[in-house]
Amino acid sequence: MKKLLALLLSGAFIMTGCGGGGSEAIEKVPGFEGQTLKLYNWGEYIGENVISDFEEKYDVTVVSEYFDSNEMMYTKISAGDTYDVLVPSDYMIERLIKEDMLQPIDKSKIPNIANLTEGVRNLSYDPDNTYSVPYFWGTVGLVYNKTKVPTEKIEAEGYNILKDTEYKGNIYIYDSERDAFMTGFKALGYSMNTENEDEINAAYQWLEDINNTMEPAYVTDEVIDGMANGNKDIAVVYSGDAAYILSQNSDMDYCEPKEGSNLWSDAMVIPKNAENPELAHEFMNYILSYGPSKDNSMTVGYASSNDQVLKELSSEGGAYYQNSAYLPRTNYEKDEIFHDNETLRKRLSELWIKVKAE
Amino acid sequence: MKNFKTLAYPYIVWSAALIVLPMLLIVVYAFTKEGNSVINIQFTFDNFARFFSDKVFFDVLKRSLYIAVMTTVVCILLGYPFAYIIAQMKPRSQVVMVFIVTIPTWINMLVRTYAWRGMLDKSGIINSLLGLMGIGPVRLLETGFAVILGMVYNFLPFMILQIYNSLSKMDYSYIEAASDLGADRVQTFLKIVLPLSIPGVISGITLVFLPAVSSFFIPKLLGGGKYVLIGNVIENQFLTSGDWGFGSAISLIMAVIIIISMHITKKLDRDPSKEGGNI
Repeated sequence: MKKLLALLLSGAFIMTGCGGGGSEAIEKVPGFEGQTLKLYNWGEYIGENVISDFEEKYDVTVVSEYFDSNEMMYTKISAGDTYDVLVPSDYMIERLIKEDMLQPIDKSKIPNIANLTEGVRNLSYDPDNTYSVPYFWGTVGLVYNKTKVPTEKIEAEGYNILKDTEYKGNIYIYDSERDAFMTGFKALGYSMNTENEDEINAAYQWLEDINNTMEPAYVTDEVIDGMANGNKDIAVVYSGDAAYILSQNSDMDYCEPKEGSNLWSDAMVIPKNAENPELAHEFMNYILSYGPSKDNSMTVGYASSNDQVLKELSSEGGAYYQNSAYLPRTNYEKDEIFHDNETLRKRLSELWIKVKAE
Repeated sequence: MKNFKTLAYPYIVWSAALIVLPMLLIVVYAFTKEGNSVINIQFTFDNFARFFSDKVFFDVLKRSLYIAVMTTVVCILLGYPFAYIIAQMKPRSQVVMVFIVTIPTWINMLVRTYAWRGMLDKSGIINSLLGLMGIGPVRLLETGFAVILGMVYNFLPFMILQIYNSLSKMDYSYIEAASDLGADRVQTFLKIVLPLSIPGVISGITLVFLPAVSSFFIPKLLGGGKYVLIGNVIENQFLTSGDWGFGSAISLIMAVIIIISMHITKKLDRDPSKEGGNI
């Protein structure tokens, strides 16, 4: 949906004749003239000039397609569609590696891998970056309206504030079984990778209670506009979207609940059936360089995987200085990475439909 | 005539590849599951058993039918008078009015539905107007009202145009004859105009009810995700759960419901046309 809005907006820009200003002369890299790169990425997940600069620099064409969930991407990939670069999340990369759908990366062709920040190094799904190169990363937390919800209160209650009837009818829950159940598991003190049926049922009950008493709205990308316009008081949001919301509305603040969160990352991978792996390597290396990384993070709001950009944007003078959502919390023992687990995924999906359909 | 028949062959190939084949695939998926290492797929009724054994899915089905029926009824109540008024106008104004009714359908449905989000939200234009009149922000978005509103808004043009078509094709001499024979306006409407416009209403119902019962993004956007309809469940099975067998089974159940309702509307359509012959 965001993609669509972006499309409309870009249409408006063209009509008013104020398209993004051209960047300075780009240093050309020979050897790829006339080739095509097929990129399959999240909607609204790339900087304004990143693609056009890359096309100019290498004299190539980039064909972009967008997905709005890892599962949607997986469905297309397994149906046989070919792409050169994908940007899935951690648990999906784990699954793609397990199913032997990715090709190993030639790290000698990606020297910029040295730019990776501490938070995205050594990630358990691919510790040596054999298959993947991190793109964005972050946590999932609560965006709240400071003027309606006291900071001390939300910090003390954590996710359980979603059950506080004072905010009835004023909360957004993220409409994805993974993220919804993460809040439930964490609120109850369980691991979000649990397979214990009692714990799963307890989390289901927890979400059911919210559904029955709080009149929540289940949304995905709509949460960004909703919170930026101050339509509700509390929302479960990805940290990068939260950074954007905070930059739009100064009443909003971000809280990473003490019960823990999902520390996630999205990374670039090359599928086995890629038609142009050479150019895919160049693209990955290009994304990790300073300029494109900065453009990405400035436009989208998510935490950069480039150390220099991350530090620059979050320190004094940077675009996200004092924005509590930009820099993800690291080394917090209750934060977890989501792992691929087919049984759990199916069980949660089934239960989530039930929660919403009651 | 024989020569013209061959012109239909590309169409037959087309519909076989794009309509019949996918339907067969759905049937295959619905009745099979992944088997053991010896046989790849196995015949099963599990997918259907799961649908009918879980109350939640039955509730979802009921809710889908309820919302679709409500949408259709509201569309008739709003669309009929509107079509009637258009049909009474001068021919040139009729063209303009029909044009106005069709304009919204030029814009993508998703965009128009998204626009309603902006209007109905707490900081939206409707609540701002209410605020000026001193009425506090009312929750409009993420309610059943918003879902029905969005559905009616999107599907109303189809109803109006169908009814208008049958009204405008009506032979005006019937009405003159009725008033010559002493019928008053109400009687003329009930005995002449209404029966003659029934075919339009019926095809309007088909065009509104069928998309309404299977729509999924309007309830998702305007209902705050809480109005889970059968279309949402199907979408979820294919895109999130990856359970194509169950998704196909629900699609098949939907297809059966749609075929039954088309059959009923066809029957309704036949009777008035017989009466029409008697007039």
